[in-house]
Parts: sequence; structure tokens; C-alpha cells
Amino acid sequence: MKEYMMIFVGADYQELGLSPEDLQGRMGKWWAWSAKMKEAGIIRGGNALHSSGKRITGPDRIVSDGPFVESKELVGGYYVVTADNTEEVVKIAQDYPDYDLGGAVEIREVMVFDQ
Amino acid sequence: MKVDNLVDHLFRHQYGKMVAILTRIFGLSQLELIEDAIQDTFSKALLSWRNKMPDNPEAWLTKAAKNRAIDLLRSAKAQAHRMEKLDNGPSALLLEGLFLEKEIKDSQLRMIFTACHPALNPGDQIAFALKTISGFGTREIAAALLTKEETIKKRISRSRKTIIDRNIQFEIPNHRNLPSRIKRVLEVIYLIFNEGFHSTAKHDLIREELCTEALRLCQLMLKRAHLRTSEVYALFALLCFHTARLESKLSDQGEIINFKDQDRSTWYWPSIQLGHSAMMKAVESEEFSTYHYEAAIAAEHLKAPSLAETNWANILKWYSELYKIQPTPLNLLNQGVVLQQMGCYDKCWEIIQQIDPDKLEQRKYLYYSACADLALQEGNSQEAICFLDQAIARVHNKIEKKYFLEKRNSIVSNNQ
Repeated sequence: MKEYMMIFVGADYQELGLSPEDLQGRMGKWWAWSAKMKEAGIIRGGNALHSSGKRITGPDRIVSDGPFVESKELVGGYYVVTADNTEEVVKIAQDYPDYDLGGAVEIREVMVFDQ
Repeated sequence: MKVDNLVDHLFRHQYGKMVAILTRIFGLSQLELIEDAIQDTFSKALLSWRNKMPDNPEAWLTKAAKNRAIDLLRSAKAQAHRMEKLDNGPSALLLEGLFLEKEIKDSQLRMIFTACHPALNPGDQIAFALKTISGFGTREIAAALLTKEETIKKRISRSRKTIIDRNIQFEIPNHRNLPSRIKRVLEVIYLIFNEGFHSTAKHDLIREELCTEALRLCQLMLKRAHLRTSEVYALFALLCFHTARLESKLSDQGEIINFKDQDRSTWYWPSIQLGHSAMMKAVESEEFSTYHYEAAIAAEHLKAPSLAETNWANILKWYSELYKIQPTPLNLLNQGVVLQQMGCYDKCWEIIQQIDPDKLEQRKYLYYSACADLALQEGNSQEAICFLDQAIARVHNKIEKKYFLEKRNSIVSNNQ
């Protein structure tokens, strides 16, 4: 078993101005998805991320506000799951609820270093 | 974790509550800021609940609203130009008090009276009420009222502007103005219900929600002793009676079912009972409103075990009483339809001929539908088809249109 990180990009709810009913519906989909993964016992961790933050760049370590990317490129959260291969994670990621809002899932294998 | 764990429309209802409470604290002039802040809180709730739902989501949201209020107060205090206003503003203790169930209801009632304030454009009131009190999104309101989302946004912002320009207070009106203000509130509730019940919306889910929302608002009015007039009771009874047969109006395939073919066993009994007890209260008064008569008519229909056993004479009596205080062409048309049911075709023609169909506006198709039925009774199928064509040309609702088309087809095939 390997570990993979699913990174959720775009679909900033605050910016999209969803109605309370929409939000509740979205929430239901997220729960259904995470419940499904929990049941399969594949979840290793995950969190949502604030849309604002700090960015440190350059040799002078300049600190600036925000990740400075367009909101559609903004990382909104992640899950770490276990799977045999990327194809399996692609399958898992089918249930990500926000494709219709322009969101995307990026899948990356977590690197394991042999000692 | 299942979605069922979340109360239906929790977010939407919480939205309305929070807007009302925060408006009580910050005033109507801050409405836009308040709504943005709540929207923000909800988006955050959604993210933080993603992995684990709180044990009591409702309490969680209320607490978030309270914290948000404190945040807003703090940042407002930091702004010097608002200092003066907030010095006599609410203390922490008062803030706590506003989150008690009774006070929340009070704030919601204030919001209802604000939305139905006579200074607001009547056309804007429904949109504003559905957004601010009921927490519908602009897209949902647009779908329910068959309007563009842009129009709804304009109506809402126009209402907000009027409220600020006219310095409308966030309050339940005083005794002198109360009766007329209650009347307008009831009109708006009635209109919201009608929008739902007469299914101008293509989206069935929203249609039903408008009906339940109207019921909820009416119930809120009944919670306060001095707002509980016989008219409010009568309207509540009327809404209950109609709601009881909401399910039976549409088939599983979403097709409209003619009143005569509705399965009376699917009528929702608890709703009828609730309506009856409200009606008992309503008739304690000497004076009857239009809602009294409309409720009486609805009750008469519910009482009949079958269409054939309907007491049409009683219904006709209620319609003519109703027409006396509300002489609209629609009430006249309804009398005509009842006479037709009673087999009094001559009298029916007599009444129908008094009606100027143009005055029925968007309900004009009902006139042609009645004429078609009458022509059919007289065996004049050619004329019936002509009338049906006119009805078909004017009906907006797809389900109703389909019903007319099928009726037309059956007449055509019967005559071949």
C-alpha cells in the first residue's frame, strides 16, 4: 500500500456565494464521500485550508500576504489516503463534490524514503 | 456520517434567524454587511465540518453567529466614527439575551414587519422576504418566481436602499398602525404560498418549500398574543387546508391531477386537523376576512368524501360572500365553475359572461378552461377545442399545459 495526497484546487465557497441550501447540499456530499472512505479504512488524514495565508520568497525571505494565485488555482484542502496505485485514487476522487463548481483534484503519491 | 443527521433546511433557517438577531444588534442600516458576514460563517462551517460534524450543528451555528457578532462589534468599536453609536449599544449581557429562543422569534417578527413595510415596493417585498427572512439564495428565488436572478438582486438591493433612505426601524409596529401592518404581512405570506401552490415554478422542490415557508411565517405570527388576530388564524387554517392536498395535486411522474381525480386518501390528515383547530379560533370573531371564506371553501372540499358528494351549495354561498368583500373576476369565475358543477349551466353562462378575461391577467387561461368545460357539457366539442386552444396559448406551467393538451386530444379522438 502506498499513500497518496488528493489536493483540492479551486471552488472557493466564499467567493462563489452559494446559498445556505446549496451549502447544506454540498456538505452532505462531502460527508457521504468521507464516510465512504472511512468505511473503506483508507483515510490517513486531511484538512481544509484557509484561503488567505503568507508567502515567503527569495533569498531575503520576503514575507507577503496570500498565496497570490487566482482563486481558481487556490488549494482549499487535502486528504491523504492509502491505495495500491494512482488509478485507484483516481477512482476514489470521482466522488469529490466540487467538480461542477470548477474545482479540481490533484493526486500525488507520497514519497517514501528507504533508510 | 449521514446527511440525515442534519435537520432539513438547517442552514437556510439558521440564516434567517441569524440575520434577524444580528440586525437587532447592529440595525437595519448594516443589513448588507450582516448578510455577508453570515454567508462567510456558513462557508467556514462547511469547511470545518467536512471531517467531523459537531454534535449539535444548530448550537454550533448559533455560537458561530454570536462570535461573529462579537467580532463585528469589536471591529466597529475600533472605528472611531462608530464609537458614539455603540456607546449606548448592547452590552455583553444584552447580547446573550438576544440569543434566547423567545428573543430570536421576536427578531424574526421584526424582520417580517420590515419586509412588509408599506414603504417597500410591493413587488420587491416577496423577494426581500424570501432572502432575508427565509434565507433563500437569489438564484432559488429567481427560479421560484420565474424571474431572472438579476431582477431579484435588483429588487433586494432596492429594498435595502429604501429601508436606509426612509430610516425604517427594526420593530413590531405600534398599536395604531398594527392592524394595517398585519394585513400587509398576511398578504405577503398569502402571495408566497400562492407562488408555491399554483406552481408557477418549474422546479417542484422550490415550489413546495415556498408553501412550507409561508406556513412557518404564519405560525410565527401566531406565537405573539397581540398579533394573533382572527385573520391570522383564518389564513393559517387556509394554508393548512391547501397544504393537506399539496401531495395529491401531482402524480409521481410530476403530472397535474385534476381535482376530480385526486386520490382523497392521500390528503394529509394532521394538516387538516391543524387547520380545523385554527379555524375554530378564527370564527370566534364577528367579522370575517377573505381568508375566512377561502378557508371555509377549502374545508368544504376536504369534508366531501368524494367529488360527487361535495356540498356545492355551501361552496357557492361562501364564494358569493367572498365576492361581496373582494369583487374580483377570479372570484366570479370560481362561482361560475361551482354553478357548472351543480348543473346550473344557464346561470353559469350568465356569470361567465360578466367576466372580462383580460382582467384575470395570468389566470386568464382558467377562464378559457371553464368555457371549454361548459361547451363540452353542451356537447359542443368544436367550441370546446377552440376554448382549450386559447387556454393552451396562455398557460405558462408545463404540467398544466400538458393537461390541457391531453384533454384536447381526447376530445378530438372522441369525435373521430
